[in-house]
Amino acid sequence: MLTAFKSLARSCGLAALAASMVVLASPSAHAEEDVWPILKEQTFGDRTIIEEDGLVVLETPSKVEDAALVPLTVRIPPSVRGKIKSLTLFIDNNPDPKVATLNFGPAAGTGGERSFSTRVRVDNFSHVRAILETEDGSLHMTKKFLAAAGGCAAMQAKDPDADTADMGKMIVRKFTPALQSSPVWAAQVMVKHPNHNGMQLNINTAEFIPAQYVKEMTVTRDGELVFKLDGTFSISTNPNFRFTFGRGEENNLDVVITDTDGTEFKGQSQPKGS
Amino acid sequence: MCTPNLISRKTFLTAGLALAATPFLRYIPAQAAAMDVTEVAPGVFVHQGRYEVQSPGNRGDISNASFVVGSEAVAVIDTSGSAVMGQELRDAIRAVTNKPIRYVINTHMHPDHVLGNVAFKQDKPTFVGHYKLARSLGTRANSYITANKQMLGDAAFEGTEIVLPTLAIKEATTLDLGDRTLLLEPQATAHTDNDLIVTDTKTNTLFIGDLLFSVHVPTIDGSIKGWLALLDEMGKRKAARVVPGHGPKTMELPQALEPEQRYLSAIAGDVRRQIMEGKTLAEATRTAGFSEKDAWKLFDQYHVRNVTAAFAELEWE
Ligand SMILES: [Zn+2]
Repeated sequence: MLTAFKSLARSCGLAALAASMVVLASPSAHAEEDVWPILKEQTFGDRTIIEEDGLVVLETPSKVEDAALVPLTVRIPPSVRGKIKSLTLFIDNNPDPKVATLNFGPAAGTGGERSFSTRVRVDNFSHVRAILETEDGSLHMTKKFLAAAGGCAAMQAKDPDADTADMGKMIVRKFTPALQSSPVWAAQVMVKHPNHNGMQLNINTAEFIPAQYVKEMTVTRDGELVFKLDGTFSISTNPNFRFTFGRGEENNLDVVITDTDGTEFKGQSQPKGS
Repeated sequence: MCTPNLISRKTFLTAGLALAATPFLRYIPAQAAAMDVTEVAPGVFVHQGRYEVQSPGNRGDISNASFVVGSEAVAVIDTSGSAVMGQELRDAIRAVTNKPIRYVINTHMHPDHVLGNVAFKQDKPTFVGHYKLARSLGTRANSYITANKQMLGDAAFEGTEIVLPTLAIKEATTLDLGDRTLLLEPQATAHTDNDLIVTDTKTNTLFIGDLLFSVHVPTIDGSIKGWLALLDEMGKRKAARVVPGHGPKTMELPQALEPEQRYLSAIAGDVRRQIMEGKTLAEATRTAGFSEKDAWKLFDQYHVRNVTAAFAELEWE
């Protein structure tokens, strides 16, 4: 991963220069540099990946309005009955192409549609990929093309002082389904965190804002693992995740987030002792 | 028959009074290399930008730019969206007065208001802005330059660079131009985190930059809550006129604010309801605030981005 990361980080310097808030350049300008074969080999070795077999569905906006805040949703349709093992998201042409890997635990749930949503930065015209690993260890991929540019170098924080004051504030919200007996429930975790990617140059000080981003997030339901997420700075400022989990007894969610500085942030779906 | 004497005297007096009340105001049409400017109050000149996004055709002339002439010096308030437009503004100033350009003030960080600054470097003015302007513009400089170069094309972009403020305004401050002072008031986060209101106290003209959009759809790059709160306060101000960042050369308070208040309230209301209902950002961008679609120019270019910004802010309430 390191080699690919370095060369890509270098090319992102150029990519950032070519980036803009309004999309004008032709996508073919970057199609020539196909990094997927390298990413695939580094992440999955020589394992077979089945493409577009309907086991995993990716939703992206038809038109990207803010490249620093692009909503992505991955759905695993109810027809997929078994447990899921892992989910990996890539944005090929981002400085670090990996967005996140989720390794699912026993509380990830089965018996209904499972989903995961987040918001990402998109630095350039790029394919976005979701690779699902099912219980039997087989890999299933879907991809979409995104015509967005400038999300990595763009400074997303509109009110950095307010964000800094609130850093670490976390909201964990459960969406109780209409039918409480439904086996798969949905929830949301959001945390105030700059998720700085180290690519924003302040010409006022001639310094890059140092990288600091959410590296790990562990979600448990009643003490059982829903998933552990390994993230990168491709996730937008104030990281925001929606996901599903398997219904349990109490359905209390606990969330632990660790950033690259080693700072830990904790949140719960309801106050302690209630 | 009435008395001719009296009538002529009355006519004369009325005419004299009218003259005193409406001093001769100049319109300086676009000349060889200067943009057109209109004198909206004695010594206060405004150029109106087009309701467009940056293009080679408009050369960045998409926002209002103003200047105020005192007995000793001139202050520029916003410099349009490129070096060439900044130069045209400077030429327009020189067609009116040869007094030194002492201050170049930016109402906020956006490229269509600051990229003409570079044309005034030769005057060695003090560049003035909100105390957060340097940081916010500094961190966005590279992406602004890249984006504007691409949108304007090489010819219109020629010579454009970012010029950061040298005087940071942290509290209400006055600047003297000789026989008239400008009052500078930094605002809390609204349109951006570095909005500055400039008042020419002599004519009670308020330059409120992009705190006020008219015709051109507002763009949220700060805080929708802060902006709505600020508009409530601004509606209570008494001013002879306000100069918006995008819109006609002058407007009147408080009615000038109403369409913008309605637009921002529509977004805030819809987005808050959708957050309560557990809707996602992607869902909100498809419906929130669309009742305003026909009320604004450039709605398609900016509205979804506005909803995105509003959602990312209001979901923390
Ligand atoms: Zn603006």
